[in-house]
Amino acid sequence: MRPSFFHHLHPPTIPAKQSRWRYTLGAGGMAVFLLLVLGATGILELFYYIPTPDQAARSIQTISYLVPFGGLVRNIHFWAAQLLLIVSAVHLVRVVFTGSYAPPRRFNYLLGLALFIFAILLDFTGYVLRWDQGIQWALVVGTNLIKTIPLIGNLLYIVLTGGTQPGLPTLIRFYAWHIFGLTLGAVILGVWHIFRVRRDGGIAVPPPPLRVDKERITRKELARREVLAMLMTGAALILFAAFIPAPIAQPISDINVMAGDAKAPWFFLWVQQMLKWGDPFTWGVFVPLIVLAVLALIPYIFPKPADSELGKWFPRSNRSAQIILAVIALLIIVLTIFGSLPAS
Amino acid sequence: MSDLSRRDFLKLTTTTLLTISGALGVGALFRFLDYQTEPPAKTEFDLGPAANYPIGSRSLVPDVPAFLIHSQNGFSALSLVCTHLGCTVEQKGGEFACPCHGSLYNADGKVLRGPAQKPLRALRVEVNSNGNLILHTD
Amino acid sequence: MKRLIALGSAILLFAIVAAWWTNSRQPKPIVLIPTLTGKPEYCLTCHSGLREISPSHPIKTFGCVICHGGEALALDKNLAHSTLRGGANPSDLSVVQENCGGSNCHSGTAADNNDHIQRVMKSVQSTYAGAIANILYTFGVEPDLTARFGIHAVTDDVITTTTGVPALQVFDPTKQTNPSVLKFAANCLNCHINAQPLPGSQFDRLTGCAACHTPLPNLGEGQGVRGQIHELTTAIPYTQCNTCHNRGNYDLRTMSFIQRTDQPTTRLQDYYQPIAQFTKCEYTLDCIDCHTRAEAMGDGDIHSSMKDIQYIQCQTCHGTPTQLPQTKTLTNPNDIAFRLAQLNPVVDLKLGDTILVTSKGEPLWNTRVLPDGTYQLVGKATGQVFTFRPVIGSGCTQNGLDQSSAYCHTCHSVQR
Repeated sequence: MRPSFFHHLHPPTIPAKQSRWRYTLGAGGMAVFLLLVLGATGILELFYYIPTPDQAARSIQTISYLVPFGGLVRNIHFWAAQLLLIVSAVHLVRVVFTGSYAPPRRFNYLLGLALFIFAILLDFTGYVLRWDQGIQWALVVGTNLIKTIPLIGNLLYIVLTGGTQPGLPTLIRFYAWHIFGLTLGAVILGVWHIFRVRRDGGIAVPPPPLRVDKERITRKELARREVLAMLMTGAALILFAAFIPAPIAQPISDINVMAGDAKAPWFFLWVQQMLKWGDPFTWGVFVPLIVLAVLALIPYIFPKPADSELGKWFPRSNRSAQIILAVIALLIIVLTIFGSLPAS
Repeated sequence: MSDLSRRDFLKLTTTTLLTISGALGVGALFRFLDYQTEPPAKTEFDLGPAANYPIGSRSLVPDVPAFLIHSQNGFSALSLVCTHLGCTVEQKGGEFACPCHGSLYNADGKVLRGPAQKPLRALRVEVNSNGNLILHTD
Repeated sequence: MKRLIALGSAILLFAIVAAWWTNSRQPKPIVLIPTLTGKPEYCLTCHSGLREISPSHPIKTFGCVICHGGEALALDKNLAHSTLRGGANPSDLSVVQENCGGSNCHSGTAADNNDHIQRVMKSVQSTYAGAIANILYTFGVEPDLTARFGIHAVTDDVITTTTGVPALQVFDPTKQTNPSVLKFAANCLNCHINAQPLPGSQFDRLTGCAACHTPLPNLGEGQGVRGQIHELTTAIPYTQCNTCHNRGNYDLRTMSFIQRTDQPTTRLQDYYQPIAQFTKCEYTLDCIDCHTRAEAMGDGDIHSSMKDIQYIQCQTCHGTPTQLPQTKTLTNPNDIAFRLAQLNPVVDLKLGDTILVTSKGEPLWNTRVLPDGTYQLVGKATGQVFTFRPVIGSGCTQNGLDQSSAYCHTCHSVQR
């Protein structure tokens, strides 16, 4: 067969043991599929979305209620975006819990972490583009949080929002970041990430002499598995989108009059919960950055998993990294649950 | 059922299912794109009291654009949209000339010179109950 | 694996078919592009059965949003209704300026006769200033009967009458100490047109302009259909006035409202308190057949008492033993009388017609002087035609200056 881009991403054969669902969880592949879905539905939304404060929420009403299948397109975009965060988190957890970040994959681990950040930023900017009362609170608080950063806070605030309070320049900037800046960055990082997977020798496996199970699957079989994953994810997304609408609220009438739900988007609920504890800079900026730094340092500060233990869940040699990540994940989940409870 | 035909059957089923899915998807895509957010352009123009246009008058109505003629036979109107590619024709002497590609029409809208093939479109004019002239472009 | 892919394809097809199915179940949007705004509204998708609210507000011209607010593009009930101004009643006084105001609409100038909102905001019907002033004076809180407080604060820059006061402050019960005044504040501040009515179908009305202009059909106890009445009219039947008036008595000792216990079924029974005297015209006519728009909605001044704004008397239509009632021949086609007659076309008013006018010169447009010197009145709410004579030549020996109803009732009263 003539070599093609497809072959770049699919080696002739790969070890059967490490290509099982229960090892990869299909998370990385699903994330790629979701990005493609998000790109396609995002382009469709662009045909109707108007990025001005007085038109944004109304153009979303047009998409949601008036354009045939517009609600479906928007709901798929929404659910794919939420699923992307979950799938990315699962992928991160899988990589750490299997010790797959070990050299030579250390750098790709960082690329993946950067992609995760991009996914969160894309989710947040996309959320703000609704420009309705459902996002007002999070927008105002989220951007005010920037101001608490010592020395450069005010500068960063204007860089981010383009003004002294959220308004037209803010919406335009979030729009430009969402559909162009962040998307372009995510595509470049994503392609780089996939390229590095191949360059680093595919999925982490023990060196050939140490492999117990020598069985391998063909690239055709790999492609079939990918197709199956895409069909199921696609069907699930469409069903979800057909029956569960994405959130929508009344347009923002005055950015200075706080209305609507005082809830952060679900992926920032853990930060919102910490903000109740005191100093906004400490809990809203510093602690999340520490969490990020700890995640980034995992491949560098914890012992490298033994070669023989690669390609397996929970290698004994990197227990410390697993425990650290498990603690962080558990804390975030618990904080998210507390944050989602109605205020008493 | 032989092994081979069973495989063919599966392949055929999959192809069929995916083709129908694809067709429905493309159908949905076209319906998604076939939506107008802006109200359709105006097709009815109120030209004010009919008495403002005495018999023998020939008046330009720029916002249509059209040319209103009141003759012995009553009111009539010509669209000033060139039938070639839609430029607005200009009045030159008693004729209408298209500035884009040189089509020329006579005072009744008949083609004197191409590239236009069809005469200028006649528009419907009526007088409503208030005595106002209403021009229809549809 | 191939079987799984075939199954996956089937599931995908199922999902897409489900998506088409849900899409086909969406309500088909019905668009309305009102000529005033030129912006599409989709309210009719659900509200297509609603009648035109009045001949003066055709939906093709106004649409819905200009008066009601709301999300014109949303087809979800909660979202579409989330930005309604004043809920189902745009004329509530808290939002009336936004919904019904505007110099071309109902907050224009007195000269153009479209300053309705300004007048109503200053009227005793909405300020309740008269009752508040009366109570404060009675219990020694204020030195005189001049109004100083109202349900809402309001100021008047141009005072045109001798009884007008320049401004009212909000009546704040927390600043009062007198127990009777406090009781009054607790029990009686619901007696103005923007108050929620008392429970019971006999009290059922909307608030603001709609308190009078949107008559609710009396469907009996608990059967009100408030939100669904889509009507504005100037032909207001006496039953609508009765949702506030003629509903009982006030007991100043307990500072409470004693509801009447009878359930009147006829005009005669419905009218006034059981002990009161009245003449035939007082119950055969509707309230608005005599009482003018200025009396009902205010004359633009803030008054201290209902008495300052109530000026229709027996002599307005009947004159006195020495004087005919005041009349006016309509010579100006822009006379307000024609506009009022057009809004409620019970009479065919023409240039040259001679009609009765009030002491302030307001047209009683539903009356006419007949060639034989008698008068005709057409009921604004009933369309019924009444003819009547002036006092002159009737043998009435009443002093013309004694216009309080008790004087006329001495001879002209109806037994019940």
